[in-house]
Amino acid sequence: MTQMKSKTTPITSDYIDDPNYEKVHNPIFDSENISSFTLTEITDHKTDSGVLSQDSEFEIEDFAYSDDEFVYDDEENNETYDSMLSQPIKQITKKEMSEGSVPNLNYEVLTTQNIFKNMLSRLDHLQPVFNIPREDILLLMQHYDWNEERLLENWTERMDELLVEIGVSQKTSAVATSLEKKAENPDISGVKTKRGIAFKQSFECIICCEDKDTQTFSLECGHEYCIDCYRHYIENKLHNGNVITCMDCSLALKNIDIDTVMGHDSSKKLMASSIKSFIQKHNKNYKWCPYADCKCIIHLKDTSSLAEYTRLHFSPFVKCDAEHRFCFNCGFETHAPADCNVTNAWVKKAKKESENLNWVMSHTKECPKCGVNIEKDGGCNHMKCSSCKYEFCWICEGDWAPHGKSFYQCTLYTNDEKSKKKESEDLSKIMKKYTFYYRVFNEHEISAKLDWKLGQTIGSKVRALQEKMDVSWIEGQFLTDSIKILNEAVEDLSELLQIKDPEQIMKNKLEFYNKSGYVENRMYALMECGRDLLCKGICKPTD
Amino acid sequence: MASLPKRIIKETERLVTDPVPGITAEPHDDNLRYFKVTIEGPAGSPYENGLFHLELYLPDDYPMEAPKVRFLTKIYHPNIDRLGRICLDILKTNWSPALQIRTVLLSVQALLASPNPNDPLANDVAEDWIKNETGAKAKAKEWTSLYAKKE
Ligand SMILES: [Zn+2]
Ligand SMILES: [Zn+2]
Ligand SMILES: [Zn+2]
Ligand SMILES: [Zn+2]
Ligand SMILES: [Zn+2]
Ligand SMILES: [Zn+2]
Repeated sequence: MTQMKSKTTPITSDYIDDPNYEKVHNPIFDSENISSFTLTEITDHKTDSGVLSQDSEFEIEDFAYSDDEFVYDDEENNETYDSMLSQPIKQITKKEMSEGSVPNLNYEVLTTQNIFKNMLSRLDHLQPVFNIPREDILLLMQHYDWNEERLLENWTERMDELLVEIGVSQKTSAVATSLEKKAENPDISGVKTKRGIAFKQSFECIICCEDKDTQTFSLECGHEYCIDCYRHYIENKLHNGNVITCMDCSLALKNIDIDTVMGHDSSKKLMASSIKSFIQKHNKNYKWCPYADCKCIIHLKDTSSLAEYTRLHFSPFVKCDAEHRFCFNCGFETHAPADCNVTNAWVKKAKKESENLNWVMSHTKECPKCGVNIEKDGGCNHMKCSSCKYEFCWICEGDWAPHGKSFYQCTLYTNDEKSKKKESEDLSKIMKKYTFYYRVFNEHEISAKLDWKLGQTIGSKVRALQEKMDVSWIEGQFLTDSIKILNEAVEDLSELLQIKDPEQIMKNKLEFYNKSGYVENRMYALMECGRDLLCKGICKPTD
Repeated sequence: MASLPKRIIKETERLVTDPVPGITAEPHDDNLRYFKVTIEGPAGSPYENGLFHLELYLPDDYPMEAPKVRFLTKIYHPNIDRLGRICLDILKTNWSPALQIRTVLLSVQALLASPNPNDPLANDVAEDWIKNETGAKAKAKEWTSLYAKKE
């Protein structure tokens, strides 16, 4: 139990040490929540004990991290450090943030393959009920948007009609149909054609009107067309996600027909697009991860909790298997402490204005002193011209000196009405203010992306280092994980990694953990504060 | 321009030799995929006695892709908007390469005979049509005599 205590202690004390803790009441530290937290932690603990013993081999003294604003000091004993190494602070805060006062988001991360497999297993499951080929059940399910209950209801009521409707079988009122067909197409003469490919000499295809020796394809309906036309027809439809039918009647092509005409595996394309359209139709429960090239799908089983999130100005963040965090509501990347409405209002406004402000987006800027082009390669706003060594702020382009240690926030922008001669142009002032914040917004967005890139680079450096220095895998792994979370500490971290002295590394590592916990707690405190302001109606999104 | 597919040549021939009653369709001299079309307002409809001009264009992928059809004459109809665009299933999702120019034009003619305000393209017209059918039809008739005069 002492170990358990040591785990929770540093976290709580972090908050108390934080001078802002008093101001921001955080519901996550209700005694009730703490106890439930400890319960879950105990189980985690066992698996981690190996890590603990390994970490405690290192003698680590210097734990204090400080900056200008806050003194971040820890008077706890060594055991605390050890537990911090094995259990990063994020675990409590994140967990409690998401479970605090809103219902848990019950979701799973899927891929199209997962969904396809699920679909197939549902077909297998249904096969004994329907007692028709699996391919036909697939058509039925597609027709009913995978709503099993609705399908079963209709199936028992009007099986035969349904099979005609979805194109599994032809109308069976044989006389009427064959007469009808005879009248409009004398070739058919009521005889059922065989489904499949045939070879015909001097065949006149009514789609292309060419007269040629060719392969043809036809379903049982006898609507026979040249293979070129059929291929062209199917090719165009593979990406719509709908069941493909005969060109002249509602008889459906099965996957095997598609593969016969198009060559093997073409039906997989259709299945993929069919899954896409399934997700689109069920977009209340299913969302693609919005990150470029990420193929993860988040499936939220119960959407009723979302309303509660909205009411409390929480954003329902979900995380895909590639660790991408995004808001399930609006699909934007992390936007706390702003809620979805605020975010959307901002994005809408930004879009409207962005045409005038495209220049802001650029990654390069001229040095305000010597005019050399400087590229921003990390998140920090502290720029140093490689040519003239002038240090300046990326956002306001002013001298760096007065910014001091606030590397990520430009502190110089104020509504300095006094210094401005009273121009009656309020509008231009507002525009200027807006432009400034728009710029800050974009810079931070770009910074976040650059930081992530930098984080990746550092991650690989860590791995290299780990090989060279013989640091344990868990050590290295933990470092890598932490880097991902900690965009803000990237700069310090990259400095740390340039140190070649192995003894220094452990010391700096601790500093890094310490800072990461600190930054993260600050972030959550800020989120809480923002949420509070929204809940109390002190802040409101406006257009 | 690439040579005209046999399918288009055949259809064009048949439109001339075996025209559909009340409908004319003539390819443009410079562009054989572009047709000038006229449709007579069906008897018994508010469009009776009107002559409506349309344009029809066969895209490169025709007949895999539906022809593009648009009214040039102003018309008051719940499924035709101010730009003359037509809301007709076979011109969109229900297009099939087995359909033809003539079937499309027949369908457009049928749409004039029986408007469908429940699947509207021109929302204001559709609303008018549902709320006050007599009034809407009177307006359609008025527009017909104003804009769709036979020469
Ligand atoms: Zn053909
Ligand atoms: Zn058929
Ligand atoms: Zn992702
Ligand atoms: Zn959101
Ligand atoms: Zn410079
Ligand atoms: Zn600045």
